[in-house]
Amino acid sequence: MAYLTQYQYYENDGNNPENANWGSYQYVTLKDIVNNFELMYVGNDKLINNVERYNILFHAKRAIQELNYDSLKEIKILELAVDDTLRFILPSDYVNWVRISMYKNGTLLPLTENIQTNWSDAYLQDNNYKILFDQDGNVLKPEFSTVDIDRITGSNKTIYLNAESPYDGQEGYFYNGIWYFEYPIGGRYGLNTETANQNPTFKINKKSGVINFSSDMAGELIVLEYVSDGMESGVNADISVNKLFEEFIYAYIKYVILSSKFGIQEYIINRTKKEKSALLRNAKIRLSNIHPGRLLMNLRGQNKWIK
Amino acid sequence: MASIINTVRATVLSIANKNNYGYITPSDFNLYAKQAQLDIFEDYFYQYNNWIVKQNARVSGSGYADIIKGLVEVVDSFSLTSSYTPILNQFDLPNDYYLVNKIYFIPDNTEIERVSQSKILSLNASQLTAPSEMFPAYTLEGNTVTLYPSSTKSVKIQYIRYPKDPNWTYVSLSQGEPVFDQSAADYQDFELPLSDQVNLVNKILQYAGMSIREIPLVQFGQAEESIENTQQG
Repeated sequence: MAYLTQYQYYENDGNNPENANWGSYQYVTLKDIVNNFELMYVGNDKLINNVERYNILFHAKRAIQELNYDSLKEIKILELAVDDTLRFILPSDYVNWVRISMYKNGTLLPLTENIQTNWSDAYLQDNNYKILFDQDGNVLKPEFSTVDIDRITGSNKTIYLNAESPYDGQEGYFYNGIWYFEYPIGGRYGLNTETANQNPTFKINKKSGVINFSSDMAGELIVLEYVSDGMESGVNADISVNKLFEEFIYAYIKYVILSSKFGIQEYIINRTKKEKSALLRNAKIRLSNIHPGRLLMNLRGQNKWIK
Repeated sequence: MASIINTVRATVLSIANKNNYGYITPSDFNLYAKQAQLDIFEDYFYQYNNWIVKQNARVSGSGYADIIKGLVEVVDSFSLTSSYTPILNQFDLPNDYYLVNKIYFIPDNTEIERVSQSKILSLNASQLTAPSEMFPAYTLEGNTVTLYPSSTKSVKIQYIRYPKDPNWTYVSLSQGEPVFDQSAADYQDFELPLSDQVNLVNKILQYAGMSIREIPLVQFGQAEESIENTQQG
């Protein structure tokens, strides 16, 4: 693709949206990757010949997907309000979550994933606890399980030290300067730090594609930080990858094509495998942005006394 | 430009016409000429492949020793580019095409990839590689090209055509001999380069020799061709 003029970059040639090209120089497009690979790595005098373009396209996309899962750190962020059934529908391009926060009173509060489940499927049963089926032999299911209903109505309890804790609001005794409680928390067994969080909790139902929140979350704003696979909902024109990974992607495509071709000597495959791994390491180090200034800021607290 | 076909015919007649019973009529000559030209034309592609193998084995050179370059130049002299507008996603290839080098959309020059019939269904069903506007594909069935995804955008096709049939034309007989006429409407010279004149003569001699059952003539043509091939590596 041709280089952009400054006017194209800043003003998008006067078209809308104005910001269409901002930051685009960091990225190389999928089209460029496939084109460059065909041009530079495929030919009668190259290691790879007689390979279809769709092979290259497939491996280029797979490389971009793999990079998006961890190395690229291309985090997408989506804000949505939780509905009355305490669900947050996962974005259409969601693959995995990074952090889920509640935005309240101008502050982002990171939420904790509940170590217990807060949702469940259920089957309808008769009085004798026999499972009920329809005429086609499929099991009958209620819209919500009891666990779900209790969570939505706010009648379930949690092991977390928030408003849904069974001990929340209960009283203790203050005697001779010491507090005593009639339930197993704090002073008696020590605090369970894993569940000592007063924020609401969530649990992801991957198959149903929703995040289920605890009952005090209806109407609250949620900010979901997540990773996608970089496929941009199948729009090839939008697929791109950071230039720091460009050489790795060529090496990756070369390796996977050669390793799946018949009759390629093992030393060539090993060579391309090492090249691919080394380039991935290099790109990760480059992308990690270890700046002396940032390190200095981090290390400033090293001699601080903990009182 | 000097006519190759007339020189070739004169040479063939000179070698074959022993005691005047090896005479080849113009129509016979044209038939043999067509055969010989097609044979040599096809041979260019096999030579190209052989020389690539040699190049990869480091037994060919560069500069004037770059044999592949010369072969490519000859093949490229048969290259044509035509425009088509698909109707209902399809269009027919030109009748004289030998092989399609590339098909691409205009004006954006997006190349359309040839996909075999055995793969196209799987390709369409694949989430990652399904043909798209950016990476379109086509299949070939008979002479008909089908585009994926469906498109009515204009396309250009760059292809290698067959050489035109050579036709040695004449106007009248003079002392029993037809007189060559290069200005006839149906005149067609050989389209192969001058360097192929020797090969053309050798090939035509073999056909002519078989025609008049003159085995030494066939053997002479074969021997000459063999020597030529040996010299060319």
